[in-house]
Amino acid sequence: MNKLIIPNILRVTYLFLLQILVFKQIHFPLGDIGTAQFFIYPLAVFMLPVKTNKTLLIVISFILGLGMDLFYDSPGVHSATLVLTGYIRNIVIALLEPYEGYNTDDVPTIKNFGLSWFFSYSSILLFIHIFTYFSLEAFSFVFFFEIFINTILSFFISLIIIVIYQFIFRPRF
Amino acid sequence: MYNVIQLLIRFGPHILFVAVEVLCFYLIINYNTTQKEIYLNSSQILAGKVYNTRAYLNNFFHLRAQNDSLKLENTNLIENLIVINYSLDRINEMDTIHFKYSLIPANVINKTFDKRNNYITFDQGSKTGVKPGMGVISPNKGIVGIVRNVSTHFSHVSSLLHSQTKISCSVKNRNSFGTLVWKDMDPSKMSLLGVPKHEKISEGDTVITSGYSTIFPKGILVGVIEKFEVISGENSFDITVRLFNNLRHLDYAYIIQNRFAEEQTTLEKEVEDE
Repeated sequence: MNKLIIPNILRVTYLFLLQILVFKQIHFPLGDIGTAQFFIYPLAVFMLPVKTNKTLLIVISFILGLGMDLFYDSPGVHSATLVLTGYIRNIVIALLEPYEGYNTDDVPTIKNFGLSWFFSYSSILLFIHIFTYFSLEAFSFVFFFEIFINTILSFFISLIIIVIYQFIFRPRF
Repeated sequence: MYNVIQLLIRFGPHILFVAVEVLCFYLIINYNTTQKEIYLNSSQILAGKVYNTRAYLNNFFHLRAQNDSLKLENTNLIENLIVINYSLDRINEMDTIHFKYSLIPANVINKTFDKRNNYITFDQGSKTGVKPGMGVISPNKGIVGIVRNVSTHFSHVSSLLHSQTKISCSVKNRNSFGTLVWKDMDPSKMSLLGVPKHEKISEGDTVITSGYSTIFPKGILVGVIEKFEVISGENSFDITVRLFNNLRHLDYAYIIQNRFAEEQTTLEKEVEDE
């Protein structure tokens, strides 16, 4: 368990920096409807060890989300979204539990669980995350069409980056 | 205490989740202008709806009181109307003015309309000043009947739809008058007999009370002439009158109190007795 602490702290830090320094600057304007954006930082929460303490998970999500809000200038939106994602993560992990169950040290990566498992795991969470984010940003379902289009496009480009990340770095922890 | 700690250990993450989300929503609503505006707007709409519903329900419960107060208001208005129309009926007595007619609002508690002789029971009796022989009129237009019997709290009114009904009526703007009777079993029609055939009347003319009795003041609207014919060998019209009011749907009415009825009848009786 101990050997997982340092890599995870590092990963949270550099995904945070990656998001605010690189991916925050890239977005594809879609005319009146909105913009497709990259959401890479949820990966830091996705890749926390499977058996992470639930309380710790929520605290980490909150802090990371608050950091995002600091740079996105939207107090509460990212934190509310990421806390929800962190809370739901355990439910999704329980749903996708393989036949043999999980080990204590398991980290959700392609290398540990295979492409299809990781793909369904991250796409479920990412979709919920992005949908919640755009809903909270609009704060009214009057804009449902815009929310939906933004969610779909952002979801696809973010998912591609997340999967590519897995293939490039091949993280084990 | 132990239970509380147990509960915290079991549901700690969930409670924390809810708390953190509440905190986040607090931040969202307080520090983002767009979201703040939307929140304020929607909460106002919601609150408005809640208040509207509450007012609607409250109104429903106060309906009876409102109805009663409206009835009193109407009573005053109709009284005033009678006074304005017939200002000569006003008699100065000392300093105060006493109007000849006053109204007593009353609710229908029992009624019939499909028999040959129909009666209506009202919830006002001798306690509020109702006496046999008083006239009863409808809230909008039209007359209802004449009080027959009175107990302390109730009065028994013989409806217009009664074989014995004889009410002195005239056609508006014509001088001659006739008697209103109920001949057919149709509760919306009555007959006006005794109007001399030299009078120029036409269909659609208004029939009003003539005021030649102590029961109804002059000019209470009764109905319109639907058709008329001259009975062969007689000197008068047989006029079918369509009533303004529907006695089937009567819920409340006003009993007319003529303050000087007794004086008038005693005087007239004296002459008769001589």
